[in-house]
Amino acid sequence: MQRWVLSGLLLVLGIAAIAAPPKDVLIIGARTDIIVDLDPARTYEVFTNLIIEQYYDALVNIVVEQGEVVAKPGLASSWEVSEDGLTWTFHLRQGAKFHSGREVKADDVLYSFHRSLGLNFAPIWILSQYVPKPEMIAKIDDYTVSVTTTQPLAELIIASVIGFQGICSIVDSELVKAHATPEDPWANQWLKTNDAGSGPFILVEWSPNERIILNRFDDYWAGPAAVKQIIFIDIPEPAAQKLALDRGDIDIAWDLLPEQVDLYRDLAGFTVIEGTSWSIEYLAMNAGKPPFDNPLVREAIRWAIDYDAIIYGIQKGAAVYGQTIIPAGMFGHLPETPFRKDVEKAKALLAEAGYAEGFEVEMLSSTAPRRVAIATQVQADLAQIGIKVNITQMVSAQFYELYRAQKHQFLVAGWGVDYADPDALAKPFAHCCTTGPEAPVRQLAWRNMYADCETTQLVEEAARELDPEKRRAMYEEIQRRVLHNGPFVILYYPLRQVVTRDVVQGLVLNPMESFTEFWAVRKTG
Amino acid sequence: MVGYVVRRLLWMVLVLWGVMTTTFFVARVIPADPVGAILGPQAPPEAIEREKERWGLNQPIYVQYARYIGGLLRGDLGVSLRTRRPVLSDILQFLPATVELALAALLIGVVMGVGLGVVSAVRSGHALDHGCRVFAIVGLSMPAFWLGLLLLLVFYYKLGWLPGPGQLPYWLPRPPRVTGFLFLDAILARDWEAFGSYLHHLIMPAFTLGWLSTAAITRITRSSMLEVLHEEYIKTARMKGLKERFVIMRHAFKNALLPVVTVIGIRLASLLEGAVLTETVFAWPGLGRYATHSFLSIDFNAVVGVAIFTAFLYASCNLIVDLLYAYLNPKIRYA
Repeated sequence: MQRWVLSGLLLVLGIAAIAAPPKDVLIIGARTDIIVDLDPARTYEVFTNLIIEQYYDALVNIVVEQGEVVAKPGLASSWEVSEDGLTWTFHLRQGAKFHSGREVKADDVLYSFHRSLGLNFAPIWILSQYVPKPEMIAKIDDYTVSVTTTQPLAELIIASVIGFQGICSIVDSELVKAHATPEDPWANQWLKTNDAGSGPFILVEWSPNERIILNRFDDYWAGPAAVKQIIFIDIPEPAAQKLALDRGDIDIAWDLLPEQVDLYRDLAGFTVIEGTSWSIEYLAMNAGKPPFDNPLVREAIRWAIDYDAIIYGIQKGAAVYGQTIIPAGMFGHLPETPFRKDVEKAKALLAEAGYAEGFEVEMLSSTAPRRVAIATQVQADLAQIGIKVNITQMVSAQFYELYRAQKHQFLVAGWGVDYADPDALAKPFAHCCTTGPEAPVRQLAWRNMYADCETTQLVEEAARELDPEKRRAMYEEIQRRVLHNGPFVILYYPLRQVVTRDVVQGLVLNPMESFTEFWAVRKTG
Repeated sequence: MVGYVVRRLLWMVLVLWGVMTTTFFVARVIPADPVGAILGPQAPPEAIEREKERWGLNQPIYVQYARYIGGLLRGDLGVSLRTRRPVLSDILQFLPATVELALAALLIGVVMGVGLGVVSAVRSGHALDHGCRVFAIVGLSMPAFWLGLLLLLVFYYKLGWLPGPGQLPYWLPRPPRVTGFLFLDAILARDWEAFGSYLHHLIMPAFTLGWLSTAAITRITRSSMLEVLHEEYIKTARMKGLKERFVIMRHAFKNALLPVVTVIGIRLASLLEGAVLTETVFAWPGLGRYATHSFLSIDFNAVVGVAIFTAFLYASCNLIVDLLYAYLNPKIRYA
């Protein structure tokens, strides 16, 4: 009996010694439970798209060089636009292979786009706003494809849309068709959990809420990746991620909190990697309802907020100071930050607006702790100018129900960039000419009932403008208008931070997190 | 006895129908837009409308209810809005990890709880009794989240005796999924490395969850034992000169078990549905996290599915406990 007990203990304790991750295997601790479907036609969540990015390829590769977005060749080695600016011709790279060993050809590109349009899942609007019909994508020969758009577009827009990993990822058409059924002609069920890509890694395992294993694809057109394998381990709790990183069981902790990240600065053996993320934390005021229908009230709120308290107190400095709707680092960003906390000025504006005694307002917040903290700070700030803020917390499903129906007064929320062009921000934040249901774009400006036809016109013209410098000037003008007249208080642009063991080299965070690549990441030990 | 069981089963069906109907309507009448929330803040209104149409959520609520009942009679719990998989598949995917964790936690809870409860009752008023009660109170008061992190800090990070979060180390392939229960799958695959490693990973989460149960079981065992120890027949047994150990284990303990069994039954059901914090801290791929995500996103079918499933667990545990009563105390008979 005692021998059995002893054997059992040895069995259990004998496995205590866990080896450090091998040199050619990259172990990433991350919260992976957001992943529920790996079909590129459906994926829309940032982290899911980050996984997709590693084993699929798109025609265009969106990278950031010296602070500017650049469209680099992906599966297309080059492209050009017709004189009327409506037809884009993409020349495919010869010799690029899918993981099945088949060569990537025009038929696969056509099938991939037709499939995404046919499945018509939520993210398809990114493509269909400019390329709504399958027949607008045509095969010219085995290595040439043309894409026709509904209007002339700046190159950066079309490149960012066509380079969107997900709906515009290229799938192995033969492989996918082999798994189609009459009930599921696009093999959506099969592709939810399987790989049909041509990217630098191959999906070998996805165990929901456990781990994702990607193996190197040695025949990748740009050459094999530096590491042999990437394993994403699900560790939802940041504190547990930190312990695993400290123990050396993981190479990268993906979701540490800013205050945890700060502990690693100047700590031997670890590297903090950070970069601007193209997302925005903001307050929204419903300009269709009093008192926020008065631009002076909105301006008073912008002067009453303690931006430093939010950035350094709540966000622990993991933010880039910014007050315009196009984040820093993005084409067309206007680096103007006129607002600082000035209680007297805010009070004067409020008095000029006819609210010298202040007013009472309901502020909505999701239950996310950071948002609640921001709401509480805003409540304290606005109390100083006589505005009583009542905070109502609710789950996202209730929050967005009210927000989308224009039923809110005041709220705190965030916005992430959908594609790497300022059009992806100007449209939601500034495109609204009518606040009724007939509006073609019913995003943030519309939700906040902020109608400005002149600015809306400018947003549309900027998308069509082919001269980069004129286009930049147009976006700057749009931002200036929204900065002072719009229904938003832009609080900051969050900083994306990860911590790695110092053996990890070559990791560069893309401002669009989902575009971050691990192809060049290597380990030195 | 058979008639009693049949009646109880019919009641169970009625309870499940009540839970299902209440959850179904409550989830749908609260002012929320789960489709919009699941698709994210960026999703345009057209995409949300399209999704609602796809899921039949634009139809009148009674039509949706009738369709759901129809599906349920065929054993179909519907499809999750969030994962787009059948809810039953989702539950079966995540349930085994939770069952394994809950059973291990219950084992710890019962062994420690009953043991401490008996010792505490027998040494009532002594230092040992106070020590056991303090241990129970601490277990009951300590948040699972905090305790889990503390254990990780000490036994994983500082001492390195136990492995970190997850069910298996990253380098170990998972045995082929046959039953979904990693414990059994490792045995079936004769993968002893995975088996041992899994047990190793199970220790901390099971203890975290088990301590909570230990507290409840210790307290009920102690009070039940104290009550029995004051009965006349215990005095008679002692006067007959029986050994104290024999008196306690044969005469007192067996008769004190009834309320303990009730608590164990309730604990098992609550362990199965209440392990969410432990699962989060230890990255345990169980049902608790799935249920939390479903409720927070008001994922209609998943919410109803999880509610039915949880009600089923409670009803089943109660039924089993009631049936155990007859076994433990032959004086109890069911008409």
